[in-house]
Amino acid sequence: MTVSPLQGITHACFGLSYLLAFAFELARLVWPGAAWRVAALGLGVAGVFAHTAYIAFNQPTPAAPYGSLLLLAWVLALFYLYGTVHYARQAWAVFVLPLVIGLVGLSLALAATAHDAAPVDVPTWLSGPRFWGVVHGSLLLLAAVGVSVGFLTSIMYLIQARRVRNKVNPARVVPMLSLERLETMNRRAVNVAFPLLTAGLLVGSLLLGEEHGATENWFSLKVLSTAGLWVVFLVLLYLRYATNVPGRRLAAYSVAAFGLLLVALVASHPFVPGGER
Amino acid sequence: MNLRAIGCNVESATVELREKLAFDEPKLRLALAELTARYDVEAAILCTCNRVELYLGRPEVGAPIHAPLVAEFLAETHGVPAELIHPHLYEHADEDAVRHLFRVTSGLDSVVIGEGQIAGQVKEAYDAAQKYGATGSLLNTLFPAATRVSKRIRTETGIARGQVSVASAAVVFVREVFDNFTDKTVLVIGTGEMGQLTLTHLKELNPAGILVTNRSPERAEAAAAEVGGQAVPWDQLDDALVRADIVLSTTGAPEPIMPRRRFKEKVLSKRGRRKLVIFDMAVPRDFDPSIHDGDRVSLFNVDDLNRIRDQQLAERRKHLGPAEMIVEAEVRKFVLDWNRRKDGPVIGRLTAELDRVREGVVGPLLEKLDGRLTDADREWVEGAFRLFQNRLLHGPIAALQEASKEGHSAGMRDALMKLFGLKG
Repeated sequence: MTVSPLQGITHACFGLSYLLAFAFELARLVWPGAAWRVAALGLGVAGVFAHTAYIAFNQPTPAAPYGSLLLLAWVLALFYLYGTVHYARQAWAVFVLPLVIGLVGLSLALAATAHDAAPVDVPTWLSGPRFWGVVHGSLLLLAAVGVSVGFLTSIMYLIQARRVRNKVNPARVVPMLSLERLETMNRRAVNVAFPLLTAGLLVGSLLLGEEHGATENWFSLKVLSTAGLWVVFLVLLYLRYATNVPGRRLAAYSVAAFGLLLVALVASHPFVPGGER
Repeated sequence: MNLRAIGCNVESATVELREKLAFDEPKLRLALAELTARYDVEAAILCTCNRVELYLGRPEVGAPIHAPLVAEFLAETHGVPAELIHPHLYEHADEDAVRHLFRVTSGLDSVVIGEGQIAGQVKEAYDAAQKYGATGSLLNTLFPAATRVSKRIRTETGIARGQVSVASAAVVFVREVFDNFTDKTVLVIGTGEMGQLTLTHLKELNPAGILVTNRSPERAEAAAAEVGGQAVPWDQLDDALVRADIVLSTTGAPEPIMPRRRFKEKVLSKRGRRKLVIFDMAVPRDFDPSIHDGDRVSLFNVDDLNRIRDQQLAERRKHLGPAEMIVEAEVRKFVLDWNRRKDGPVIGRLTAELDRVREGVVGPLLEKLDGRLTDADREWVEGAFRLFQNRLLHGPIAALQEASKEGHSAGMRDALMKLFGLKG
């Protein structure tokens, strides 16, 4: 059987590509020039390509922390590329890439302690309880993308609102999206993430109730943090649509939600064999 | 090069004199025709609110034109005594004139450093001169070069970065809050001059609607008609503020028209989560500054906008050094290229003349020796004469090129023409 050279791709390949792309993006802010942007974009594309190939060959499962972090980082890397091309004048990558790099790093830390496992056989996903497990994991992963986008736009919103409050000269600072645009993006991210999170939680609850009925599973860190995340989202939606709470406070809630998401992603799953992988 | 830039600007002449010396279209056409016919010059006239300048190029053999003559010409054209004009004229010659045009076009000689409008005005002056057949090879090379230098400076330095007027600074701030303006409503309170200027900039964002309110209903109606907006009675100010997204306030009220409590109770509580940007251009201020939170309400006053403008001007000044360096490099390049361009035909004619002389000597010689020389011998003889010619020409051509580099090749060209008997 022929081994593809792409199978030799490791975390270091895409992690370093993202890191260098981030460094070039920072350089672009200090010394504006097209060369930095082209170099950063090239490295970003290379990183996403390597990341995609790694996922394609290793097929990490979204039901386990390692896989979910890696997949989340991959979706956010795509989000980074989209934003870098679409908002060419804004310091988009400077905010998104650290999160991507952080998630890749976190997944790497978990991979070091995880057991090696054979790639999951795709056809087995489509039948029985495994199917619902994958549905549950995928829904939560997509919700996690929404939470992450909400987190990023909230961080940007808080910085931009601080600048406007202090009446900082926009020409002297890193260019950012307007408060209006950031608020819209945040609202959409939360609106999309909440139903996905709710559906994912419901499927998970059914699985937990039917197959692994032990009471202590309901009080595991993963379940509690995910439930906490759902509650925070509910509060966020209430504040957004039923009150006149300032955007800064909503942004702060989105940041807190992301903290809970990280706990939920890193925590061991109560009914995935082996705990983490 | 025989080029002169002669004129006056804000530093050398009062606005009254500059107004008298201004050229409208008919005057410009007549002046360009008169200059070219009377003085045998290529001419372009740059006339803006800050300067009136004549760029005059002549054949190198001709005597240059000086400021007194231009003063007389301007006096005749505008009916102003020459003695009133002459003391206010400056004169830049040759390389200095090139440098001056490059600096002017790049906005380095402008009141607002790095302003971009002047580049367009220089291009218009050149286009007009071309249209009326007043340009020749020198100005046709110089003006496009000036435009190129201006673009280079704007691209490679930060001289043109940022907003340098109070009104445009307002637009910069509003863009930090809003992204889309087609669904936004602008409310203008009062009819101050600064507000009008800022409104002109805000209107370029294509807002959905403009509301105008004033204590005087007649003034509100008139101002609304002028800006294509809708007049709102003064007693409905609170409601108008609830509807508005961007507010421009320029009343002359001695007290704030919108204290904090009134704003919170009558406006903020009814706006939902919509954001509001207020430009309080009035002195004393119309809005209580404590309503600014940088989130739901962003309030900027004249001092804030002035600060941004001053910072931008200071920022631009930092780029003056690099911009001047580009100008210097481009002036050197232009002068060198121009001189080379002038040298080319002389070198070509010199070479052709010596080719003719060489062939006149070698031809009869080879004829006389016909039958006694092999083909290889004939080739050798021809090569030897060609080598002699090249060595003979090397010195004069090198000297001419050296003089070109130093910017004074005209005399050398003249000397070569005479020494080698070339016709002018």
